[in-house]
Order: sequence, then structure tokens, then C-alpha cells
Amino acid sequence: MSFRIGATVLIGHNGNAIQSYGFKKKRILGNLQKVLKFLDAYKVDEIHAIVPFKGKGDSGSSRIFSHLSELSISTPLGIGGGITEINIEEITQDPFFERCIFNSAIFNNPELLQKTKSIMGHQSMVASIPFIIDDNLKIYHSKTNSFQAINDELWEEIGSNFNEVLLLDARAEGTKKGFNFQVFKYIKFPIDRILISGGLTKCDINKARKMGLAGVSIDNFALHSEYSIEALR
Amino acid sequence: MVNIIDVGLGNIRSIEHWLDRSNLLCKRVPDVESITDDVIIIPGVASAGEYMRRLKKTGLDKEIIERSGQEQKIIGICLGFQILTDYSEEDGGTECLGILKGSTKYIDEHKTHNGWNSFYLDTRKLSKNMHIKKKQKKIASGRVYFNHELKVELDCKAYVKSTGDGVTSFAIQNNIIGFQFHPEKSQKTGQELLELIV
Repeated sequence: MSFRIGATVLIGHNGNAIQSYGFKKKRILGNLQKVLKFLDAYKVDEIHAIVPFKGKGDSGSSRIFSHLSELSISTPLGIGGGITEINIEEITQDPFFERCIFNSAIFNNPELLQKTKSIMGHQSMVASIPFIIDDNLKIYHSKTNSFQAINDELWEEIGSNFNEVLLLDARAEGTKKGFNFQVFKYIKFPIDRILISGGLTKCDINKARKMGLAGVSIDNFALHSEYSIEALR
Repeated sequence: MVNIIDVGLGNIRSIEHWLDRSNLLCKRVPDVESITDDVIIIPGVASAGEYMRRLKKTGLDKEIIERSGQEQKIIGICLGFQILTDYSEEDGGTECLGILKGSTKYIDEHKTHNGWNSFYLDTRKLSKNMHIKKKQKKIASGRVYFNHELKVELDCKAYVKSTGDGVTSFAIQNNIIGFQFHPEKSQKTGQELLELIV
């Protein structure tokens, strides 16, 4: 199976595409439709369109996804951020996407994961895991907007509920400082089902390919045309 | 007017966009009464158990089987291809439509098959009884997108192409066409393919 070069697009609450830096600062990139059309034309292998939830009660995801469904793009699309029991029926009733990306449900909502699996199929399930490493690995929980330790039981749940994991180096996000590969000391998930994101350099992308990872998801590199997708393949 | 089966599951909107990009008209078919004699597309992105349950509830299962015997062109995509077989291992075992003799099994060691593989179809290689219209353009080639955990194993005579890792990529048996990949999300190649088959 070929190594995938995907792109992550973060969506602001006003429906614009945004760029996040180090999981903190944000900058508006522009009209979401234009950004997605650009990536489609650029022939990235897949697009991850995420509405950052970050503890908000109502992220407006349903409205944003409804807007997204009108876009005619020919690139595989995964969506995430603010998918809940309340809007899951609505979102999956008329899907314009192939994959669902979850974060907070990983921790405490097996019912939502089960429901999505029964509607969309297990192959569609992607876990988004932003992480930091201090003394140990901590992963982000969007509902509480905090980084938490992860135990074996949770890895087991992730292993059974998800087809793939998207690992985001939160501290390197939006930079070129390099992805922190130390994270693989802590990961208990098949390596060939992992995509990485955050701080990726050309060297990191080559390393990920050699390691046998499923692929990478690049952020502002693709959006600013700094690298050629074809050259990275 | 292409019929897209709509039981409230599957990436129907993506299929509509795909057809629209080639200026093909389509309609959603939620029940037996809405179906017409044109091409039928069964979309993917769902699980076999729930999809078959809803097909049976609407009676569309029997209607599709009957129409397949009357030489109406039927195109199954991903799960839509898998449920054309007799049986799928998904959801603890699911009885499927049985239009293509064979079964759908988990990929060895429960591996997953996500990403892009090369694709090549030369319609001149197909026998005359296969329902591919004669067009000026004869070949579609490039790369196509896969995202699945189960694979089709056919036990019938059909034109079948597999990927290098032993996954049935697509099969054509007269009026029945199945794609394991997602042509609607396969960029330029998917569009070229659509123009060959519909």
C-alpha cells in the first residue's frame, strides 16, 4: 500500500480555514471552499477537515459540515471536531465524506463510537490524538481542553474502535521544527495504521515512510505550496 | 438518469458530485417505487449488516436482484460491491444479495487496506456481452483510492483485476460492475472511469 501524503485543514467557527501554531495561536488562511478546492487540485492523497472543539459547548460543527457537503471535491475526505450523540444522525445521514475523526469520544463515549461504526463501518473510524511529551506521554482531550496521561486500557479501546490513528505533535504544530518521533516509545497501536502530523520536515516524511507508517498529514506546507506533493510521494 | 440507492447510508452526496462533474443526471432511490430502468449505483461507506437490514426493510434487496437478472446495469462501490456477493463476514456474518457468486472476507490478519493503488482498464479487452458502451475513449488508467477492511473473493466467471496485495480491485460480469475502490474519490482517474462505464 502506498504511503499517503494528506493535508489537515482546521476550520474556524466562522467557516474559514485557519492555521494553528503550537496548538495555541491561530491565523486565518482564507475561504474554506477555496482552500479545499486548492488541495483537491493539488492532488493530496486525503484531506482531514477538523473543527477544533477545545472545550466549547457548541462548536457549530453541524452548520459547518452542512456547508462542506455542498463542495464538490474528488479527494478522500475525513471530518472531525464536535461530532456528538446529538448531531451524529444528522451528519451521517447524507455523508459527503469517507471518514469520521474523533477525539473526546475516545475517552468516554463508546456508545457514540459504536453508533458511528454501525452506520459508517469500522474502516471509517480515525482517532485524532494530539500529544505532548514531558516526563511521559500525554494526549489531548478536547472536551476538557487538557492533556492527560494514557493507560493500557485506553490503548486497548483505541485498538478496537479505530481503523487508524492520526498523531499530532501539538508543540510542533504549524512549525518546521520537526516531529517528535520519541512518541513511538509509548504508542500501543499498529504502526502501519498511524499517520503523523505537526512540525513535519522533508526528513521526517522520509523517516515516516521508512518506518512503515500509513502516511503523514501536512498543514501549512501544502497550503502554502512550500513542498510539491508529487515530489514527496 | 442514474439511480443511486438511498437507504440513509453511504456517501451518496459524494456520488452525486462525481456524476455531476461529468454532467450526468441522477436521482436518489429510497424505495422500490422510485427506481427506473437506468443504471443503478449502490454506494459504499457503511457496514454490511445495517446496510442489508435497510435494503430488506424497503424491499430494495429483491428489486435489485430482480433487475440484475433483467440485464439492468448495476454498479457497486466498496461496500456496494461487497454486498453483491452471497455473504459477508462483517457484523458477525451478513447474508448479502447473491448477485455475484462469492463471499466477502476480512483481509488476512484483519489488516486494513487504505490508500492508493494503480488502476488500468482497457475496454477493448472486455468481452462483447459486458455492458460497457463503445466509446471513442477506450482506456482509463492512473491511481484509485481504497479504504476497506474486507475483500471480495469471487467464485464465478467474471473479468477480475486484483491489486498487487491480493485484493480484488474490480470485477465486471456482464451487466454487473463492482469496484472495491472509490472511483468517486479517485480524482482524475475516477472521472475517466465514470465516462467509460456510464
